[in-house]
Amino acid sequence: MGSDIGDLFTRRETELTELRGQTVAIDAYNTIYQFLSSIRQRDGTPLKDSRGRVTSHLSGLLYRTTNLAHAGLKLVFVFDGIPPDFKAETIEKRKEVRKTADMEWKKALASGKTDEEAFTYAQATSRLDSTMVADAMLLLESMGIPTVVAASEGEAQAAYMAGNGDVRFAGSQDYDSLLFGAPLVVRNLAVGGRRKLPKKNIYVEVKPEIIELQTDLDRLGITREQLIDIAILTGTDYDPGIRGIGAKKGLSLVRKGKTIEEILSELNESIDGLSEIKEFFLHPDVATDYSRPLRWGKPDESKVVALLCDEHDFSEARVTKAIERLLASSDAMGQSTLDMWSVRG
Amino acid sequence: MFKAIINAGTLHDAIKAMSAVVDEARFEIASEGFSARAVDPANAAMVSLDISKDAFVLFEGTDGEIGVDLGRFTEIIGMADKNDEIELALDPDTHKLDISMGGFSYTLSLLDPSTLRNAPMVPALDLPAGITVSGSVFKRMIKAAEMVSDHTSFGVHDGVFFMEATGDSDQVRLDLTSSDLIAITPADVRSLYSLDYLGDISKGVGGAGEIDIHLGRDLPVVIQFELSNGDCKVKYVLAPRIESD
Repeated sequence: MGSDIGDLFTRRETELTELRGQTVAIDAYNTIYQFLSSIRQRDGTPLKDSRGRVTSHLSGLLYRTTNLAHAGLKLVFVFDGIPPDFKAETIEKRKEVRKTADMEWKKALASGKTDEEAFTYAQATSRLDSTMVADAMLLLESMGIPTVVAASEGEAQAAYMAGNGDVRFAGSQDYDSLLFGAPLVVRNLAVGGRRKLPKKNIYVEVKPEIIELQTDLDRLGITREQLIDIAILTGTDYDPGIRGIGAKKGLSLVRKGKTIEEILSELNESIDGLSEIKEFFLHPDVATDYSRPLRWGKPDESKVVALLCDEHDFSEARVTKAIERLLASSDAMGQSTLDMWSVRG
Repeated sequence: MFKAIINAGTLHDAIKAMSAVVDEARFEIASEGFSARAVDPANAAMVSLDISKDAFVLFEGTDGEIGVDLGRFTEIIGMADKNDEIELALDPDTHKLDISMGGFSYTLSLLDPSTLRNAPMVPALDLPAGITVSGSVFKRMIKAAEMVSDHTSFGVHDGVFFMEATGDSDQVRLDLTSSDLIAITPADVRSLYSLDYLGDISKGVGGAGEIDIHLGRDLPVVIQFELSNGDCKVKYVLAPRIESD
C-alpha cells in the first residue's frame, strides 16, 4: 500500500526515548492492518475470541499503544473517512488479492506445508470490517487516546494535522503522508522492537525513523509537486504507475524540468485521472472540525475490561496490567506540548 | 569571533535561568549581543535568553554560534565571586571557549551546534491577562503548591490573581489583589501547569526582582524577567496541562 518512493528519503533513526512528549497523528488503518497481518498464530490464524471474531487488531492496539504511551508518546489515531472515487479500482484489486491469498493459505494448511509458508499467505488475507473499526475506536477512546475521523484518507488527515501544528509528526509506514505535505513523518512506531525478515528466520532490530520533508526536497532539488509526479509515475494507491519507472528513474526524469504530462507524452503513456490524483495529493479533503486542542484522558478500566474481557475473552489479568501501565503514563499525557501553539521562528 | 567581559553574577544568573529547562544550548553570537532559545526534550517548556552587548563590560562578536553544555559552564563560572569579572574568548583554532576569572584560566570544550536541536518554533500566543509579582512571592507561591500537588492552576478572576493547587488530600490557594501585585492586566483566565516544570523555573528565577506572568485560558504561560538593569532578558514559555473533560 502507498507509494514506493522510500528510496528517495533520508530516514534518520532515533530512539523512542527521543520522542518522549511528542505528539503523533497515527494513520489508524495502516497501523491496524499491520497488527492484523503480524499478530497471528504460527500457522497464520489470527487471534480470535470464542465466537470466532478476529481480535489481533485489539491486542495490537492495547499493548503497543500502552508501550508507546509508557514511553511518553502522545498518540492520536486518525481513521479513514470516505475514500476518493478513483481508489475504487485499487480497493477491488485488494479484495482480489485477499481472496487469492485466502485460498492459497487454506491450500497450504491442507497440504501440510510449513507454518511459515502458511503464515506468509495468511498475512495477505487481513480484512478490516466496520465492526472491527468501531471496536478499535471504542478501545482507544476507553484508553483515553483521542481519535479523529478523516474526511477521506487517514494519511491526508494526519498530514494536515501535522502541518497545522496540532501534532508534531504524522505516523505511518507508508510515504504518502509526505506526498500529502506532512512536514515530519515518523515510521516504525507500531512495529518497533524486533521484526522478522520476510521468508527468513532472521530478526532485525527496528528503530523509529524520522523523515523531514523539506530537508529531503531541498536535498533532491525538487518541489512537493514534483515529488507527487514521481510517486504517480512510480504508482500510488490511485494509479498503477508506468511500467519500468521506479523512484530513482522518476526523479531523474522530473529533475530534467519536465512536467509529468510532458514525460507521459514522450513515453507515449497515459494515466487515468492524472489531474484528479495530483489535485488530491496537493489539496485532499480533510476534516477541520475535530476537537482542538487534542485531549488525552485517563483510561476507563471498566470500559476496557468490558470490551476486551467480557466481549472478546481477553485475559483480565493481562488487560488490567496494561491499564495499570497506561494509568501510570496518563499523568504525563495531560501535559501539552508547545508545538500546538507554534509558528516557525 | 567572540570576546567578552561580563559581571560574574549576571552571567551566572543568566546561565542558571537557561539551565532550569535544558542541559545544552546553542548560543548565537551577533554584533548586538549573545542569545539562545531552547526547548526541553518533551517540548513542553521553552527558554530564551537575550544578553545585550550593553550588559557586557566589553563585547566583540561577529555572527556565529556555539554549543554549550550548561551544566559544565555553570560549574565553571560558579567558581567566580559574583562581583568578579569573567572574560570569555572563543579560540577560533580549537573552537574551545577560554574562560578567565579570579586568576583561573579554564578551557571549556564546546558542543558541535549541529548536534543540538534546532531553535524551537516560537509559540504564537494571545494571552489576555498579565501580572507582575515580586520574585520572592513567585517562588513562595510555587513552593506552597509543591507541598500539596504536582500541578497548579494560575488564573485571574474579577481582577484577582489566584494560584490553586489540589492534591489527593490537601489543597492550597493564594489570592493576590492589585494591592498585593506590582501590576495586573485583568481578564478571566485559568490554566493548569505542571509543578515539575514550574519548580525548575522557580529555581531559574534566582534573585530576579520582578516577574511578569502572562496567562490565557488553557494556554501556555509566559514567565519573564530581566537582569542587569534590563540588558539581560529571560523568558520561559510553559505549555499547560490539558485534562480530558
